[in-house]
Amino acid sequence: MATTATGTAPYTRDHGHVDDRSFLRKYIFSTDHKIIGIQFLLMSLTFLLLGGTLAMVMRWQLGFPGKPLPGGTLLPDTYTSNGVVLPEFYNSAVTMHGTFMVFFAIMPLLVGVFGNYLIPLKIGAPDMAFPRINMASFWTAVPAGLLMLAGFFVEGGSAAAGWTSYAPLSARSDLSGVHLGQIFWCLGLIVLGLSSIMGSFNYITTVINMRAPGMNWFRLPLSIWALFVTACLVLLAIPVLSGAAILLLFDQTIGTKFFEPTAGGQPLLWQHLFWFFGHPEVYILILPAMGMASDIIANGARKPVFGYTSMVLAIIAIGFLGWGVWGHHMFQSGMNPTLGTTFMISTLLISVPSAIKTFNWLGTIWQGNITFHVPMLHALAFVSMFVIGGLSGVFMAASPFDIYIHDTYFIVAHLHYVLFGGSLFAIFAAVTYWYPKMFGRMMSPFWGRVHFWLTLVFYNCVFFPMHQLGLHGHMRRIYDPTQYAFLREVQPVNVFISISAFCLFATQFIFAVNFIASWFTGEKAPNNPWLDNGLEWTVASPPPHGNFGATVPTVYRGPYEYSSPHSDKDYLPQNLPMPGGLGSAHPQQAGD
Amino acid sequence: MAHAAAMHEDVMLPPPSREAGAGVYNEKLGMWIFLGSEVMFFTALIGTYVILRFAHPSSWKAPGQVLNIPVTAINTFLLICSSVTMVKAFAAAQDGLQRQLRLWLLATVIIGASFVGVQVYEYTHLIEKGFVPSEGLYGSTFYTMTGFHGFHVTMGVICMMFVTARAFQGKYTKDDHRGVEVIGLYWHFVDLVWIILFTIVYLI
Amino acid sequence: MSHPDHPASPGTRPTHAHPNYILIWVFLAALTAVELSVAFLPWPKTVIILVLVGMAFWKAALVGLYYMHLRFEPKRLRILAIAPLPLFAVLVLAVITEYIW
Ligand code: HEM
Ligand SMILES: [Cu+2]
Repeated sequence: MATTATGTAPYTRDHGHVDDRSFLRKYIFSTDHKIIGIQFLLMSLTFLLLGGTLAMVMRWQLGFPGKPLPGGTLLPDTYTSNGVVLPEFYNSAVTMHGTFMVFFAIMPLLVGVFGNYLIPLKIGAPDMAFPRINMASFWTAVPAGLLMLAGFFVEGGSAAAGWTSYAPLSARSDLSGVHLGQIFWCLGLIVLGLSSIMGSFNYITTVINMRAPGMNWFRLPLSIWALFVTACLVLLAIPVLSGAAILLLFDQTIGTKFFEPTAGGQPLLWQHLFWFFGHPEVYILILPAMGMASDIIANGARKPVFGYTSMVLAIIAIGFLGWGVWGHHMFQSGMNPTLGTTFMISTLLISVPSAIKTFNWLGTIWQGNITFHVPMLHALAFVSMFVIGGLSGVFMAASPFDIYIHDTYFIVAHLHYVLFGGSLFAIFAAVTYWYPKMFGRMMSPFWGRVHFWLTLVFYNCVFFPMHQLGLHGHMRRIYDPTQYAFLREVQPVNVFISISAFCLFATQFIFAVNFIASWFTGEKAPNNPWLDNGLEWTVASPPPHGNFGATVPTVYRGPYEYSSPHSDKDYLPQNLPMPGGLGSAHPQQAGD
Repeated sequence: MAHAAAMHEDVMLPPPSREAGAGVYNEKLGMWIFLGSEVMFFTALIGTYVILRFAHPSSWKAPGQVLNIPVTAINTFLLICSSVTMVKAFAAAQDGLQRQLRLWLLATVIIGASFVGVQVYEYTHLIEKGFVPSEGLYGSTFYTMTGFHGFHVTMGVICMMFVTARAFQGKYTKDDHRGVEVIGLYWHFVDLVWIILFTIVYLI
Repeated sequence: MSHPDHPASPGTRPTHAHPNYILIWVFLAALTAVELSVAFLPWPKTVIILVLVGMAFWKAALVGLYYMHLRFEPKRLRILAIAPLPLFAVLVLAVITEYIW
């Protein structure tokens, strides 16, 4: 027997002892997946606020071009002149808004926060497979964010070539006017890539190897399935972006010629590499949202998820098909038209699994005895907003239509319907849902509702009219719409959007205050405030270091047994043994 | 046959009393998954090279005209040797042969470091000849691909030194030599990438 | 010795003798030598490229199967190991149609 001679085994779960870690080890350089999740939460909410602020700058300029930005005189002269936003700063704001939101807000919120927090708890593991690498992942993400931010403080300002950084604009400072800022953009992304990769192989290993006994693949909550497939996408897509960013960095710094047309380099190559990463990336941004919304909707409807297996298969199908559609971002780039048709067909195909999921959500709430708690409200909003965004996606996937709306506000509307309406609503749902577990206190349901309704209304006021602007030909990423005669007639729409956007932004402070205040004064949370079946609800709120203590939970059934006739309560926890052998730890022989 | 019974509690097996996962212990699974992301990183670099060569073939010179093939052939041979010393170290660890484990690991470190040394030598000569990254697509792709490979070898050598030091402390036993196996996987992967790179960069 | 493809049951170590690592090393070195000479044969360029790439894959496979002992791993690990490769093909094949179609 060679157990102790070789040091502690990696999965030691002897955490029953008194927690005597120092403050630094416990809260700053913690290897506990729950703390790391919360660290990611605080970091990405900060970036969400920052990205939102930049959006307000843009909306001010678009709604009221030439008028001094409130507080604009406080900004340096390179940003504003007499308080009026300069075109250079506008470009930076557009670029950094997109970059912060995609890479430093939504992605870490979904993958970093909930990947970390939920995976070990929901599969019944004491922690991640590699806790120290997990910690390193967070402490690599922070410098990445700082590198991105540093761009604002260097000569020439921050990156200004759009979040997609198309070459040669991004590669040559004589074209964009920004040199150092673009370099910092590349560096920030490369470092963030390291962080994401460390996170993702950790998640994948954990899900494959550390599931509690009885937690077979088809008893995994859909949130875990989604996070698992997402982690696979991160693992394989992010290195491509890192590679591309490195090539771009070399073009900018040591004069390589990858994207330089005068020397045979290929600007289109950047687009191909970027979108080969980029489309899997958009699924990275939506799959976890779909998974967590499924959990919450089943809970709110008090019914099992409709079509669990088809949900899982849809997630997997998206994971595969997502690799073969990137060209739909390039219909207008001048690429080979035959290729364009291929990408059009594959893109239309990929909306099928998304549609399956949508119908399953409807099936889940159909005739349910719905509890409209705050997370449920957000989850329902997620479904309806995602449908709108998905439908406009199908429009754009048809290349003949895309010719008209490519690079217009129609695209902006689409991506915000899926990213704000989809991902962010699901994030609000998930944060309010798991907040009691994370912090041991409930968020105020009243202010939660207020925040929800105001957000839903203002959000639609901001983004729905953008469809109309797009169809009118309003280009995205322009500094001053009133410069174009044909846009002057729709300028009132821009004003309306801007005012709604300010209200939307202001509304988010309700959430922020609710989030912070509940941390200190919220009602103490019971172990299982939502009467959910998942394993995380069987332990204390917040769970102790090591999660389940010395006992490994045994799982007897799937996570969605709500309103089960076999239980006197309307829920049936996954680890509750039932008399009469209802459910078993080993429905099929292990070792298939 | 080498591994007798009584290994049930062995840390080199997947965590006990859990669902059947990949059938291997965490560190090994984790390394394989990590290698998946490495494959995609080199996909970006090698894919770029292949695409650019199709797009603009005239940027490339015939093999041997610019790059020094004899020197690189020797370097390739070195890397292959380091792979065999590595795998010998692993075999020694499996059999619990401490002295052999240490010697093979040490050999791997030395050969790996010489590979990097030869590459530095190669670079300095090429740069003296005026073949620099900004020269054109040939130089751009050459330095990026071989440079990132060299970077991986360097990282490998650093980790290998760490593993070797631990081997000298007797930390790897017949029952637990996870470190040796895992670093070996990385090392062979880097060798494998070189096998591809040598062919497509130098010989084609 | 027999070389079982995967352990009899999950959780059991595969019990195989060490493969002949030195022999594989000889193979790798010899293939490299052959590659070096093929590269300078007066054959059509396409043929040379195909032969060279073929041999490179052969060598890579030897390293993967024996030195990284994929041959002796559970099947699911082998699938996992080669899973990313099709993505390379998808990316490169799609993009080169820009130039050779
Ligand atoms: C229902 C399936 C979807 C389809 C068919 C679809 C289709 C498209 C198409 C064709 C474009 C390119 C339009 C153009 O630039 O001309 C596009 C852009 C975009 N989509 Fe989607 N989409 C779908 C879902 C999503 C989801 C779920 C997300 C993210 C969570 C997303 C995020 C984006 C983003 C960010 C862009 C804009 C990229 C840019 O900045 O240019 N899409 N989509
Ligand atoms: Cu897309």
